[in-house]
Amino acid sequence: MRDVAIIGAGMIPFGRRDEDTLMDMLAYASLKALDDAGLGDQSVDAVYVGNMGAGMFQHQSAIASSLVDRLSLLPAAADTVENGPASGGSAVKNGLLAIASGYYDTVLVVGGEKMREVTGWRATDVVATMTHPQAEYPYGITLPGMAGMFTRLYMEKYGVTREMLVAVALKNQEMGTHNPFAHVEMALSKDGIMDNSAAVVNNPVIADPLHLYDACPVSDGAAAIVITALDRVKKSAKPPVLIAGFGQATDTHTLQERDDPTDLKAVTLAAQKALEMAKLKPGDIHLAELHDAFTILEIAESEHVGFFKKGEGGKAALAGKTRLGGQIPINLSGGLKARGHPVGATGVAQVVDIVFQLRHELPKERQVKNAQTGLTVNFGGFGNNVTAFVLRRVEQ
Amino acid sequence: MKKEIGIVAFKCKKCGKLHYPFHDRCLVCKQREFEKVKPQGMAKMLTFTRIYNLPWGFDSRYLIIGVVEFENGVRAMGQVHVDESVELKTGMLMLPSWGTVRVQYGENVYGLVLEPAG
Repeated sequence: MRDVAIIGAGMIPFGRRDEDTLMDMLAYASLKALDDAGLGDQSVDAVYVGNMGAGMFQHQSAIASSLVDRLSLLPAAADTVENGPASGGSAVKNGLLAIASGYYDTVLVVGGEKMREVTGWRATDVVATMTHPQAEYPYGITLPGMAGMFTRLYMEKYGVTREMLVAVALKNQEMGTHNPFAHVEMALSKDGIMDNSAAVVNNPVIADPLHLYDACPVSDGAAAIVITALDRVKKSAKPPVLIAGFGQATDTHTLQERDDPTDLKAVTLAAQKALEMAKLKPGDIHLAELHDAFTILEIAESEHVGFFKKGEGGKAALAGKTRLGGQIPINLSGGLKARGHPVGATGVAQVVDIVFQLRHELPKERQVKNAQTGLTVNFGGFGNNVTAFVLRRVEQ
Repeated sequence: MKKEIGIVAFKCKKCGKLHYPFHDRCLVCKQREFEKVKPQGMAKMLTFTRIYNLPWGFDSRYLIIGVVEFENGVRAMGQVHVDESVELKTGMLMLPSWGTVRVQYGENVYGLVLEPAG
């Protein structure tokens, strides 16, 4: 198996992009990654596109075929990869396996979603289609609803408090103000969303015990990477980033069938596999991009990947241990909470953010000094299909 | 007339693991033969949420969704039909019934409905 390196990364600003089609966004992000890799007019062997809902949001299918045509990458192989909100992570996996096996030499991986084209009412329904079609969906359950039920259990079992959830929201939205690609570039104050009497209006309950600012926004956006075999990488000003580890695991479709619904087994297993492959331990990781679609998930995932013991993640967030300069900085991009969550783009965007960090090219407000290793967790469904990557800077 | 609860769970004939919804192979021992089991008795609330941002297809101001465990161990999701002012707690006993949980294309869709017992 060959070592696989990321040689190009690109992203477009996330948010509401009424002026762009889904294909525009995928093309813009792809061109940024191709240019970043210095590929010029060269082609690639294959393209993998992570996307969850173009069939439902845009009434469009076969988007990978459309993208290679748009980018004049013909006759490159092209596949769309759908794995709910972990579509991006699964697309990166497909690229990794194709290069590692030796079948292809250069691959473009892009993830994208255009969700703001439909009303919030409709977008919530589209995302809810990943719940069980007989046992869950008919009741009107939503992903915020699943997260609300999970949060209630987590609070009762581990003593997580509203203040801990708010600490995550404050950190990630503050980081979003330093990220030009973030959907939400607005810092919050604890007073404004929790302590003040006006917080009832500013930060209403969306799925109790979760409030508006516990949830990520619904976003449009796209992100892309170019990968190749490490032994083919030419010396350049930008160091390659090795995909040192990958893991993926699944869990029961419904939350109710898990012996302990607070145990995110797929997160634990995916992260363990990725760390084992990279021959690293959680303590060797310098920063992480975790799937904080809801603030509780950043806390729970920080425990399940092994950064903190169960029940300690919320306290760590409150104590600033997950901030820049802390024990393990998490979601310095702003995470899904501030960067936004165009579902198919997120897994790729997490990788792009870690690449920027490991190449040491971010402003000091976001850059982890001398960062060498990073971890991503892309959480599909409600934890029933999870991908994780460990990335490592390669000195040339 | 009161409708029978339309949930059927599946008990593995080899290891006894209860499944709902259906799986083709047992989640524990992978065996493929199951005994059909109807949920029995009252239901204990395991967790719940009040959802205020509803998906397409619902025209109410909020929905309350809960996950319960019946006396014979069957676990299922259901809609909680109570006034917003009623305080719900995990562990409380709920009275299960089978009723309308949504209306789709003019047709009633039936499912598990829960109300606080007593």
